Amino acid sequence: MLKVENVFHSYNQKEDILKGINLDVSKGEIISILGGSGSGKTSFLRILSGLERPHKGKIEIDDVLIVSENYFLPTYKRNIGLVIQEKGLFPHLNILKNVCFGLLGSKEEKNKVAIDLLTTFKVNQYQDQYPNSLSGGEQQRVAIARALAPKPKVLLMDEPFGSLDRALRESLREETKLFLKSNRITCLMVTHDEEDALSMSDQIFLLKDGKLNIHQQL
Amino acid sequence: MFYKAKLLSPWTLLPLLIFCLFASPVLIVLASLFGEYSDNWIHLYNYVLGDYVYNSFLLIIGVSSISLFLGIGTAWLTSNFSFFGKNFFDWALILPLAVPPYILAYTFTGLFDSYGTANNLIREIFLLNSEYIFFPNVRNIYGAIIVFSFTLYPYIYLATRIAFINQSRSLREVGETLGFSKFGVFFKLVLPMIRPAIIGGLMLVIMETLSDFGAVEHFAIQTFTTGIFRTWYGMYDLQTAMQLSSLLLIFITFFLVLERYSRNNISYTSGSPTYGKIENKPLTGGKNILAFLFCLTPLSIGFILPISELTNWALNYKLDFFEANFIKNSFNTIYLALLAAVFCSFVALIINFSGRIQRSKFFGFLSSTLALGYALPGIILAIGIMQLFIFLDNNLSFLNFVFTGSVLGLLVAYVIKAYAMSNTSIESGYIRISPYMEDVAKTLRASNFKILTRIHLPLLKTSFLTSIVLVISEVIKELPATLILRPFNFDTLAVSTYIYASEERMYEAAAPAVAIVLVGLIPIYFLTKTIRSSRPGKEN
Repeated sequence: MLKVENVFHSYNQKEDILKGINLDVSKGEIISILGGSGSGKTSFLRILSGLERPHKGKIEIDDVLIVSENYFLPTYKRNIGLVIQEKGLFPHLNILKNVCFGLLGSKEEKNKVAIDLLTTFKVNQYQDQYPNSLSGGEQQRVAIARALAPKPKVLLMDEPFGSLDRALRESLREETKLFLKSNRITCLMVTHDEEDALSMSDQIFLLKDGKLNIHQQL
Repeated sequence: MFYKAKLLSPWTLLPLLIFCLFASPVLIVLASLFGEYSDNWIHLYNYVLGDYVYNSFLLIIGVSSISLFLGIGTAWLTSNFSFFGKNFFDWALILPLAVPPYILAYTFTGLFDSYGTANNLIREIFLLNSEYIFFPNVRNIYGAIIVFSFTLYPYIYLATRIAFINQSRSLREVGETLGFSKFGVFFKLVLPMIRPAIIGGLMLVIMETLSDFGAVEHFAIQTFTTGIFRTWYGMYDLQTAMQLSSLLLIFITFFLVLERYSRNNISYTSGSPTYGKIENKPLTGGKNILAFLFCLTPLSIGFILPISELTNWALNYKLDFFEANFIKNSFNTIYLALLAAVFCSFVALIINFSGRIQRSKFFGFLSSTLALGYALPGIILAIGIMQLFIFLDNNLSFLNFVFTGSVLGLLVAYVIKAYAMSNTSIESGYIRISPYMEDVAKTLRASNFKILTRIHLPLLKTSFLTSIVLVISEVIKELPATLILRPFNFDTLAVSTYIYASEERMYEAAAPAVAIVLVGLIPIYFLTKTIRSSRPGKEN
């Protein structure tokens, strides 16, 4: 479903931060990539989402080429969801409008999809409020709902539970995993937290010295 | 291949096109140096160029000395001592920036001419005959030095005061423990540390002095700007006027480079995240009065005196303040200023946005280069733009000569002059927007246009409005470019002030001059806010 072949990337044209990454993820599979800070795991996620361009390699989603040395599909055409630790909610839009942002269709259709997701992630009561009035955990629930609203082929998550306390992260992990599995959404999560990786993933990889190695198959 | 895709993006092409449009007038002027030199040039070179250089240097030395004395002195007093009126002077000392030098020049001559208000008053008080003249003639280079110094010293005051506020008390205490007296600490430690700030402020003063046209023309001083104007309008020799402009441009570039260099070095005055606040030492008795008078003098000459005299002229000479001509000129000014402000703010927004989404330093370079336009004298811009438009009209004749004599020329001149203000405002707004927001928006199928209109623009609302207000206040003051590029029979407040003053109709000049000063007060409000919030980090 998601196929990554021999991806190289560097920021300074001198030393590669990613040195020939290969990865094959099946539909509905959740995989985690563990790695220390500066290991290149966020860069890898940015390459998959189209926010960075690799200088070598090939990426396909559902057998459709999205990146090669001669081709680059812009982010907004890839149908990929992204959740980051910083949440990235738009502060000038209320919760409902945040979730509707990436949706197409009439206002009623968009609102229905958004409210359903907000209900799934237990934040529907805040739909008219603005992000700054929500707690960190509630904001992250909204961010996940927003990323899932356009029904992405692949969901990418960068340390999504990093800023939450223990109880909150456990419940949000469970809810997110349940949703992803029941909707067969492929997910790739990068984290430095082994517990997050163990509880969420079907496979765990380790990114070290620019190489991706299988760490654990669960 | 990836690079090619970026080059063809509209967000690369649009900023490049804008840059070419705004850079071409300057390049046209500079290109004249490599063209033919006419007899007029030889005449200028043999007889007046020396005077231009001499007068310009005399102005620079005089204005620099007085501005440094006033700027550093007032900044030192308000940053380190507590005296009568200190809190008022903190912000009021910037007020002379609202008075363009040419308006102070008109007020000066109106006040101190042989039969001006001040000499009349002295004659009335002391019952002297009408031939007695108490105040000396101010229509000379020394009068010009005073006018420039008292309107431009706030540049040095501002830069120096912010640097003083950024200094930590502990640094001075260390100096004192090393055996320096208070004067020793000031001259050997405090001043050298803020030298980049002082030089930065001083360069702005020099560039403004060299760029001025209205004041030197009113005082009939031969400088580059008056020479350029006369060569063009008197000798009808555009090529020689451009060659003179190029020389002035080279002069100004030298000071601009110095200013930029100082700005880069300014960081060594800012301290750690926490700091020991400098306690203001209370002044009593004679010192209290002296400090008060020292701060009151530049404020009085640079602001209180001109604004009172202008208001007096406008209100007490039975001239209708809101006469039809004034209203028409105000409308023209507001229309032009608003148009230029919106245009300039959008230009700054597009360039900053392009840099932001492409994460390329190239757009930062474009933006910084365009921002240098603030240092270009209006008269040089006017010549460059006029020449560009003549070229466009000649080569695009099917457009029916739409360029020359239209407001478009003025808009281009204003955007070049005011881009730095817009850019500062939009850039600081962008710093507050997390780049993660556009990353997430892109994954939510947002095109660049949608990111700009639905995310950035609403979040930059305040910065955008600030930019509009700042540009309006800058455009309203601009004289030489407006004078030359305005459409036929289209006067603004600055132009009507100039025309009335050049015809010695000072009372009629008063109403538009007061309006210009009042609008000029708007950026003062923002500058005051900047000073108050200038100390980074927390007080410990």
